[in-house]
Amino acid sequence: MAYYSTYYALSFPSFLVVVIALYLLFTDSGESFNVGRYLEETSPFVWGSLGTALCIGFSVLGAGWGIFLTGSSILGGGVRTPRISTKNLISIIFCEVVAIYGVIMGIVYSAKLQNVPEPVLYTRENYFTGFALFFGGLTVGVCNLFCGICVGVAGSTAALADASDPNLFVKVLVVEVFGSVLGLFGLIMGLLMIGNATEFTVGVSCGF
Amino acid sequence: MSSELCPPYAPFFGFAGVASAMIFSTMGAAFGTAKSGIGIAGVGTFKPELIMKAIPVVMAGIIAVYGLVVSVLIAGSLHPSNDYPLAAGFIHLGAGMSCGITGIAAGYAIGLIGDSCVRAYVHEQRVFVAMVLILIFAEVLGLYGLIVALLMNTRATTIGGC
Repeated sequence: MAYYSTYYALSFPSFLVVVIALYLLFTDSGESFNVGRYLEETSPFVWGSLGTALCIGFSVLGAGWGIFLTGSSILGGGVRTPRISTKNLISIIFCEVVAIYGVIMGIVYSAKLQNVPEPVLYTRENYFTGFALFFGGLTVGVCNLFCGICVGVAGSTAALADASDPNLFVKVLVVEVFGSVLGLFGLIMGLLMIGNATEFTVGVSCGF
Repeated sequence: MSSELCPPYAPFFGFAGVASAMIFSTMGAAFGTAKSGIGIAGVGTFKPELIMKAIPVVMAGIIAVYGLVVSVLIAGSLHPSNDYPLAAGFIHLGAGMSCGITGIAAGYAIGLIGDSCVRAYVHEQRVFVAMVLILIFAEVLGLYGLIVALLMNTRATTIGGC
């Protein structure tokens, strides 16, 4: 029965979606499903705050995942070859750097979240900033998540290769460097996305 | 200033395109780097002189560069004061997703090929040329996504204003 767990997991939400869609359709309220109105009604602070939270949250998740992947291999290999434990801390630092990227971007993004009263919040520029913060934070966070896991796996194999032969460590480090460049790309994109976005400012008029 | 063709929520879809190009390409590149890195480190344990054949790792990194290129291009045309048509937003979303999801495919292929071919290389050195050829074919999947994304991006910039 475990083979069908995907069916069980996906069928109930899709059933709900179908029922709700048919209900809206048959009660002549299909126009209440309006993506554009939802995007216009949602406060830009929602998007901005969510983006900042996802940025730091996913980055730290990736860093932690990588650290435990690498650390458990270092400690396991260090039982027979204790000499590997000091040099392989470099791999741990590569994973930690990913979390620091997330912290930096979180600080940069939170500087845009200035206090603006609700009636004058909904300007075109504020919408833009909100969306930029959300997708920038999502990009930085998820890129750092995958970078952290990749560097963790590479660091784990580097530790075990080092335990086998000390000359191999620097060569397997090349793989880790290629992995850590993914987090750097995420950081670059996060900065580029909010490059044109102003901080939340009071609107001149409350229309667009 | 409100307009039917350039609503204020149009940048949502443009930014979704930027994010999906970068996120999905990174997903593929990370899988390719990690999976082939496991194989390369394993090779070094048996034959240390062969470890400089880290070609799969480089090719997985190139997938991430494809995603970065498309993201930078799309993000360059997003600006709060420009009138940004909703159609351009959807085209940018499509461009980003095409580059990103083909990047997942290419990265996944590069990872599995790199891992198994590097392990075969330990036993038989003559498979190296075949490995490089197969890796190129896998890499070119990401390139196709990049080409389509660039085509769509140029189309989006020629869409008229509001």
